[in-house]
Amino acid sequence: MLEVRGLGKSFGPGKPLFDAADLGVARGEWVAIVGESGSGKSTLLNIVAGLDRPDRGQVLLDGKALDFGDDDALALWRRRHVGFVFQAFHLLPYLSVRENVALPLALIGVHGAEREQRAQSALQSVGLGELGDRRPGSLSGGEMQRAAIARALVHGPSLVLADEPTGNLDESNAGAVLACLGDAVKRAGAAALMVTHSRLAAAAADRVLRLAGGSLGPAP
Amino acid sequence: MNAPLALLLMRGTLAANGFRLALTVVSIALGVALAGAVHTVHTSALAEIERAAHALAGKADVEIRGPRSGFDDALFAAIASRAEVAAASPVVEIEATQAGSGRALRILGIDALRAIRLQPAFVVDAARTGAGGAGRLFDERALWLSPAAAARLVARAGDTLVFNGADGTLDLHVAGILAGMQAGGELGVMDIAAAQRLFGRLGLLSRIDLRLRPGFDDAHFRRAVASLLPPGVVASGAASLSGRAAAITRAYRVNLDALALVALATGAFLVFSTLALQAARRRQEFALLRALGVTRSGVALLLALEGAVIGAIGSAIGTVLGLSGSRFLLERAGGDLGAGFFSASQSPFTVDVPALSFIAALGTFMSIGGALWVARAVGRIEVAEALRDRAVDLPDAAKGAGILAVLLVIAGIPLLFVPPIAGLPLGGYGAIAAWLGASVLAVGPLCRAILARVAPPAAPIASLALAQVRHLPGHLAASVAGIVVSASLCVAMAIMVFSFRVSLEDWLNGVVGADLYVRSSSTAGAFSARDLRIVESLPEVASLEALRFDRIVLDPQGLEVTLIARPVNARILDGFQSEPRAMPVAGEEIPVWISEAARDLRGWKAGDRIRLPIAGRDTPVLVAGVIRDYARTWGAVLMPVERYRAISGDTRTDDLAIHLAPGVDARRAEAAIQRALPEARGLAFEDAADLRRRSLAIFDRSFAVTYALEAIAIVIGMAGVTSSFAALAWSRRREFGVLRFLGLTRGEVLRLLAVEGAATGALGAAIGLVSGVAISLVLVQVVNRQSFHWSLEVHWPFAALAALTVGVISMCAIGARVSGAFAVRKEAVLAVKDDA
Repeated sequence: MLEVRGLGKSFGPGKPLFDAADLGVARGEWVAIVGESGSGKSTLLNIVAGLDRPDRGQVLLDGKALDFGDDDALALWRRRHVGFVFQAFHLLPYLSVRENVALPLALIGVHGAEREQRAQSALQSVGLGELGDRRPGSLSGGEMQRAAIARALVHGPSLVLADEPTGNLDESNAGAVLACLGDAVKRAGAAALMVTHSRLAAAAADRVLRLAGGSLGPAP
Repeated sequence: MNAPLALLLMRGTLAANGFRLALTVVSIALGVALAGAVHTVHTSALAEIERAAHALAGKADVEIRGPRSGFDDALFAAIASRAEVAAASPVVEIEATQAGSGRALRILGIDALRAIRLQPAFVVDAARTGAGGAGRLFDERALWLSPAAAARLVARAGDTLVFNGADGTLDLHVAGILAGMQAGGELGVMDIAAAQRLFGRLGLLSRIDLRLRPGFDDAHFRRAVASLLPPGVVASGAASLSGRAAAITRAYRVNLDALALVALATGAFLVFSTLALQAARRRQEFALLRALGVTRSGVALLLALEGAVIGAIGSAIGTVLGLSGSRFLLERAGGDLGAGFFSASQSPFTVDVPALSFIAALGTFMSIGGALWVARAVGRIEVAEALRDRAVDLPDAAKGAGILAVLLVIAGIPLLFVPPIAGLPLGGYGAIAAWLGASVLAVGPLCRAILARVAPPAAPIASLALAQVRHLPGHLAASVAGIVVSASLCVAMAIMVFSFRVSLEDWLNGVVGADLYVRSSSTAGAFSARDLRIVESLPEVASLEALRFDRIVLDPQGLEVTLIARPVNARILDGFQSEPRAMPVAGEEIPVWISEAARDLRGWKAGDRIRLPIAGRDTPVLVAGVIRDYARTWGAVLMPVERYRAISGDTRTDDLAIHLAPGVDARRAEAAIQRALPEARGLAFEDAADLRRRSLAIFDRSFAVTYALEAIAIVIGMAGVTSSFAALAWSRRREFGVLRFLGLTRGEVLRLLAVEGAATGALGAAIGLVSGVAISLVLVQVVNRQSFHWSLEVHWPFAALAALTVGVISMCAIGARVSGAFAVRKEAVLAVKDDA
């Protein structure tokens, strides 16, 4: 379970971004955060990912607080426990689709046939079982984002973070990707946190929160 | 594209790529500085020699000169009395050594009343020095010094200097300083009769300077007097010394110039590499310009302008650096950069403006050439595709690069067999250029072939690095090619210098066979026959070999050959690596052994019967073999000393090679010889180890500039790698951000970059090693033989090559890591949001 307690962040004196933000996401739950541009959604996501440092507050995953003072420990924590889905897919162009999906497994020391098999299985679960040998550049936007979802979940993370996962997709592809993400999160039993502008995307989540005026609260 | 738009776009590019462009400018600047400095040093040295030659020749039109040992002074009357001659001045040249210190001074013995008609500066200006008095002109102990000699000897008018003379030490009084001989170098002037008598040169002259009457042609005169001249004496144009110095040192100078130009070409190649990498980043920009209606030639113009600006700035900085560097080199290493060709005196700074302008222009045009080459590739961009994609690689390399590389390799082979042109190994240089070009062209295909055979490593960082390196063949080729060029140069020079050093060491071990050497630089010969008998009878001495040296003039052009008269036996022939090695059967004919330089420059070969001018006699001799002589590039002839004495009647000896009695050490023998020959002061004693050590020290000093060139080539190559990785790292910020999201630590991302750098370095080092070995064989077997006429065996400096390889790989890894650090900053993580 993800817990965020009293999180605060400001961009210099007198420029608070958000203050005393509290949040809980249970395993298997998918929470969306919406808000205006510049409201601090992505910053909140980066803090939860351990990529940015809060001014105040705590982030806990399964009851264990993140140590924001140890950059390397945070990286190792992300490697084992977090999966990411980005707006621009960010598949590495010099790896095949299967190699991209297998990358988190390689980083946690899963070798050889097991890695191949788990990557292939993840690809099949998002409907890309036949495209593993292709290069990312040859896939459509929707296919690339599904491959990115497979990469985010292949190593069984406790937490999945998604930043505008449908921002680069048309409506039809966005719907398919959201369905895919929802299924994958439920299957994995991970806590999922998504920031988005998209009403369609927000509607697909189990719960929607709004970040506005520096406060995080239920969306109307 | 119009000029204002081109300038606007170029200004933006230059401002946005400051660090990489600064590295590129530095590379061009280093290349230009190196070429400019080497050229300026040589120009200064040759200008100094020319000034000195003209200062000594004064108003003379013709000089008549003979061997170092001199010629009969009876010739003077026959020449001076000819109708064509307006003024004639006899000169005897002495290489005198100062007693005690052993320092040498060139002393000219002149007839003041005759010399003043050709060179007034020979006679001191009494009003300025206060050392007047016509009577002093004929004082046989009076010595006038040039300003340079006075400065080196720290002598003033009124001082007494002690020299080794023919009959022991002799005191000479400094009568004045010849202010007019400022350009004449280090020398002393005294009365000719006194010089002949005091230094054992009675009846001998070294030179006769002549001024012809108006209306007489000097070439015609030289032909007319040729029949009067004894063998070994020639008439040539005045001040021919500078021409001879230029001829003797030309191969050395051209080799260094060529090396410096290779460094410049490496720098220019870096411009290509940097612009190519930028072009990769700017694919979309170029595609946009094309979409907006800019033609291919408009894009080429933009790139050419960028190349021109980089080249011009680099060349300007390089020229300034080169000028200040040449001042430093002139002060520290001398006009021959430590090679030992010229005297130790410092050469005044002389700037060859046209040559430096040419070098600067070359740097600029090479830079423009590199930019236009990139423009060719940019012209092949598919506009619609480039507008969509985010590829960071270069456009596809030109097709057929592999075939062109093979053709260049084949084209270089016949060039290896081209004889020297004007004494220069132009064929060898051509082969080196062709093979270096082939190496660069082969980089792309070779990298692809090598990487295709590498299995993906299990470690994720290494596996990612391999995938990345494979993914950007254009970038990889540009980076590796820069390393290949500089590594080839370093490998080739390392092998050549090592082969030369080991060959020299082997040769010294063979030639330096005695235990103790006693040297004298006196022209008159340090030891008489009586001295030899005294030394030979010492209980410390088992046996001795007498060595006599002369320089004989073989042709009117005045190029000399050193005559070495010494006992010749099987051991000596073995040491000199004579071909054939066997001693000839004793007979009437006088056997001589010629050096490889004499063989190449004179066209002689073993078995030839030739004539040598020895002691004024045209002497027929038989060439019994060809020997190696690493000491003289202008040629040498080895002759049994007993045959030399029989021909010349000269029984004096310059050097002694002494074999010590069992149990006697060199220091004890030295003391015994000094006691036995109390008059022979200022002699230099060296045991065999000292002699070998000194010779190798001279060798190392003469190659110091080569090591500096190698170091600069490596620096330029590394600047290229750093620049290219900096460019690539910046364009991969988003990728690094993704990797950080996926859980790579910052250290792991930097390690990834270091592994990629190391892989690039390893490929460059491997290809550079192969290319460098091939080029080294050209240097050893063709360039060295044709330039210096020395045969060398190839010896492999395994330790140095291993160190070089490890060094290149490490520096590439470090360069890539350091240059990528800024792209892996925490803020870079946010690059994943950057949709640009």
